Amino acid sequence: MTTLTSPLPADAPPARDAARRPARGGRRAWRGAGERPSAVATAVLLVGALYCLLPVVWVVVASTKSGAELFSTFTFAPSTHLADNVADLSGYRGGLFWRWMLNTALYAGVGAVLSTLVSAMAGYGLAKYTFAGKNAVFNVLLAGVLVPAVVLAIPQYLLLAELDLTNTYWSVLLPSIISPYGIYLARIYAAAAVPDEVVEAARTDGASETRTFFQVAVPMLVPGLVTVFLFQFVAIWNNFMLPYIMLGDDKLFPITVGLSGLLNQGASQPAMYTLVITGALLSILPLVALFFALQRFWQVDLAAGAVKS
Amino acid sequence: MTTTTAAPPARATGPSTSGRRRLAPWGFLAPAIVLFVLFLALPIAYAVYLSFRTEKVSGLGLGSGSRTEVWAGLSNYAAALGDPEFLASVGRVALYGLIVVPTMLGLALLFALLLDSRRARTRTFSRTAIFLPYAVPAVISSLLWGFLYLPGVSPFYDLFERFGWDVPSLFEGDLVMFAVANIAVWGGTGFNMIVIYTALKAVPSELYEAAELDGASQVAVAWRIKIPIVTPSIIMTAVFSMIATLQVFAEPTTLRPLSNAISTTWTPLMKVYRDAFTRGDLYSAAATSVIIAAATFVLSFGFLRLVQGRAFGQEK
Amino acid sequence: MRLTTGTRIAALAAATALLASACSGGGDDAGSDDGGSAAGPVELTFWTWTPNMEKVVDLWNAEHPDITVTVNKQDGGDPAITKLLTAIKAGSGAPDIMQAEYQKIPQLVSSDALADLSGTIGDDVAGHFADGVWDAVTLGSDAVYAVPQDSGPMQFYYRADVFEKLGIDVPTTWDEYADAARTVHEADPKAYLGTFSANDAGWFSGLTQQAGASWYGIDGDAWSVDIDSDATTKVAEYWGDLVEEGVIDNKPMYTPEWNAGLNDGTQVGWLSAIWAPGVLEGNAADTAGKWKMAPMPQWDADAPATGAWGGSATAVTSQSEHPEQAAEFITWLNTDPEAVQALVDDAGIYPADVPASTEALSDPPEFFSNQPDFYEVAAQTAQTVQPFTYGPNINVAYSAYNDEFAKATKAKKADAFVDAVGAMQQITLDDLKNQGFNVSE
Repeated sequence: MTTLTSPLPADAPPARDAARRPARGGRRAWRGAGERPSAVATAVLLVGALYCLLPVVWVVVASTKSGAELFSTFTFAPSTHLADNVADLSGYRGGLFWRWMLNTALYAGVGAVLSTLVSAMAGYGLAKYTFAGKNAVFNVLLAGVLVPAVVLAIPQYLLLAELDLTNTYWSVLLPSIISPYGIYLARIYAAAAVPDEVVEAARTDGASETRTFFQVAVPMLVPGLVTVFLFQFVAIWNNFMLPYIMLGDDKLFPITVGLSGLLNQGASQPAMYTLVITGALLSILPLVALFFALQRFWQVDLAAGAVKS
Repeated sequence: MTTTTAAPPARATGPSTSGRRRLAPWGFLAPAIVLFVLFLALPIAYAVYLSFRTEKVSGLGLGSGSRTEVWAGLSNYAAALGDPEFLASVGRVALYGLIVVPTMLGLALLFALLLDSRRARTRTFSRTAIFLPYAVPAVISSLLWGFLYLPGVSPFYDLFERFGWDVPSLFEGDLVMFAVANIAVWGGTGFNMIVIYTALKAVPSELYEAAELDGASQVAVAWRIKIPIVTPSIIMTAVFSMIATLQVFAEPTTLRPLSNAISTTWTPLMKVYRDAFTRGDLYSAAATSVIIAAATFVLSFGFLRLVQGRAFGQEK
Repeated sequence: MRLTTGTRIAALAAATALLASACSGGGDDAGSDDGGSAAGPVELTFWTWTPNMEKVVDLWNAEHPDITVTVNKQDGGDPAITKLLTAIKAGSGAPDIMQAEYQKIPQLVSSDALADLSGTIGDDVAGHFADGVWDAVTLGSDAVYAVPQDSGPMQFYYRADVFEKLGIDVPTTWDEYADAARTVHEADPKAYLGTFSANDAGWFSGLTQQAGASWYGIDGDAWSVDIDSDATTKVAEYWGDLVEEGVIDNKPMYTPEWNAGLNDGTQVGWLSAIWAPGVLEGNAADTAGKWKMAPMPQWDADAPATGAWGGSATAVTSQSEHPEQAAEFITWLNTDPEAVQALVDDAGIYPADVPASTEALSDPPEFFSNQPDFYEVAAQTAQTVQPFTYGPNINVAYSAYNDEFAKATKAKKADAFVDAVGAMQQITLDDLKNQGFNVSE
């Protein structure tokens, strides 16, 4: 935590103010100090932002280069071949890349919606009811995060092969729905955002348990559930092992598996590098857009739901 | 788990507990439980079963049916625990975790406090930029950093050379640890920052105002009020980061072809992958994974026990 | 954010419907079950990573409406084998037809992944291929596990312009190669005649094959492991000395850095195989017309020899319900003159079929248009490929190569190279015994 003290020397003046203890003007003084821009604080944040953007800038610039320029011109000097690269990528095996994007949207979109629903129900059930075995159930569900995906891939494959579901959309979608982390988050959100009194009031009005959940609890949970949705969306979007093992037909691939395949082929057909880089850029864009669109949900005060009602 | 303490314990307040009410939670949990059993519990049980089995070949092993699966007892476990490569990979991951977790969480906390303090400009831009790497899959981020690391194609080494500095390649020798750690820090800081930032925003402003009336400085407010209140969030992010650390796989696997310093058993999970996928020995891979899962369990719970009293004690 | 329950359910239903239609669209191709094998049209799936294979397959499909082949593009040799073996273990999910590198065939046979085609394909097929290549698909037995597709005899590729500028003659022996490496590195400390890559086990085994090594053997009903033979040790020591001396690079091949090196002239030569022109063209477009190919430097100049790097065969899997039709297809693919011509033109491979390839390969590859006798030289080298036996755990030997030689190249010590060979031998032998194979020592 030593990092904390060094970047904030600008706080020294208020500290000296504190020593003088202005009896009444304190509030104003503090507000003023709190909102006065600090160059150091800004600089620290900007350095962090720059560090995080650097590889992204690289991929943006690199995707404008032709295969020949990629390793020969200065790294951050943009070129003019972005459209060509996108056209080449779109032309690869009859537009397969866009199929991968659609598949990913399907896996991540539908998977995350279903996962959010399942997690919300489970989290609500765990947060708002008392029943025997509750903690045992929760701990067992949560223990799922301990087992890495690499380990599960083959047993899951063998299991789905029994059901004749390997190499289908289901084989990737179904295992993605269950998310211990999602349930964990949903439980916290349900406990914090849905007051017991409100649930009780709905029951007194004669609402069924299901109705109470969907019409009373879910609206209060929406900000939290959007977070669970985003979390699951990204988790499925990034998942590599499961689709890699399950799918043989590249028309069913999500983008990560497809791009990694292109990269592997890059070993013998280096022209693929340009395609991979352009593909990486295009694959990040929808997620960035999604983040921007749902950005305000990341700022939501988790206690707000409880406070409002 | 501790989460029960983090979230206010739910109480059934109603006087009457009808049968419907008793069944309701199970109804809500049913989809999760069914999916959990099918896609996590069964595969895990199968993996545990496999960890006690092995395959024996007879003769040249070329005819069909020359392979049979037999019981192996604990021999897969004994082999894994006695394997110097496995122990070395555990040591590497421990060091890797000691670099990644404090750096990542320290940066996440710093950025979250700066965002919350309102004193920095460009907060929306910075928050978005720092969070952005979360959107980049590990396979792709490793590829991007790989290009930036390789002296032959990296713009940094270009610059170093112009200045006449002889900077050693990150892919030679032990520096590769930092190359991998950097990717994890880069990818994880933003997410943890948001988690902590969200917790900070939940701190009631009355608490600040009270402190401010006492004339406390921003640093003091951060130290005395904000950090203690968000400690439970920090602890949970630490636990999840530790679990992710023990499972580190995608980054070193993607970088491996670029460097002589990353072996196929560089991390425990890479060894699992090599055994299961390159060597086709599912049985040893299963035993090694059971050991990893057990170690993860012990470590994360041990850590929670260690910090629980202090962190959550304050809350009550 | 006040969606009604109705809207939400509607959205969910729409998503489910989309999903259901998507699933029915894509999910029915693996393990297709058409009932009887002879009657009615048959659909076959084909896992391959050969570029543009679908174009070649289209020729077949146009002429054979009863046997439709669908290409499922794979990432490459290793991932495809991993998936195939998982599917074999699961009992379903494998394709009908599989591309397999020669070195993987013993492993696949020992996992019962391949169908024996000896009763299915014609007796004349063997005559299309060189004996050494045919041995690789029969494993010296009466069974036939695949039909050879392409082969990868090794040659030496070098920058003719740089050689001329520095006054270097094309090395014909390994001693001359070492001298040339010194000259290149002295002239420009950033330049190397080549690199020792710890990533490419197939490359190293090809080099040892040239020196007379054969990593495995079959003695009666037992395997033998002979990785630490004098021949392999000699090769390891030779490269270890050059790396220790610093005149040969120690970075892996096929990295962006190495690609850049080929293009900017810091990699002056490459010990590679017949498919090298395609890689060079993609990697080093700026250097067109500056490269030439020569036979490998020799250990014994009087007995020219070379090894093989790469090359693969086409096999029918044990899960195929239509092995006869699949065999018919793979025979056509690899021996029919029209198909072989298409493999050369579209996929850019060096066909294993001897009669068809002499026909198909007349003009040099475009990138080597400055060397009109390219394929004549290639054909000469192809005849000098030394016999080599791969074993059922070559995957273990290869991953041991990656790890042990990565340590050695990192250390840059000749002793470490020799130790790495010993470690590979030990790891491979232990694994073979541990799995229960009969092993003779």
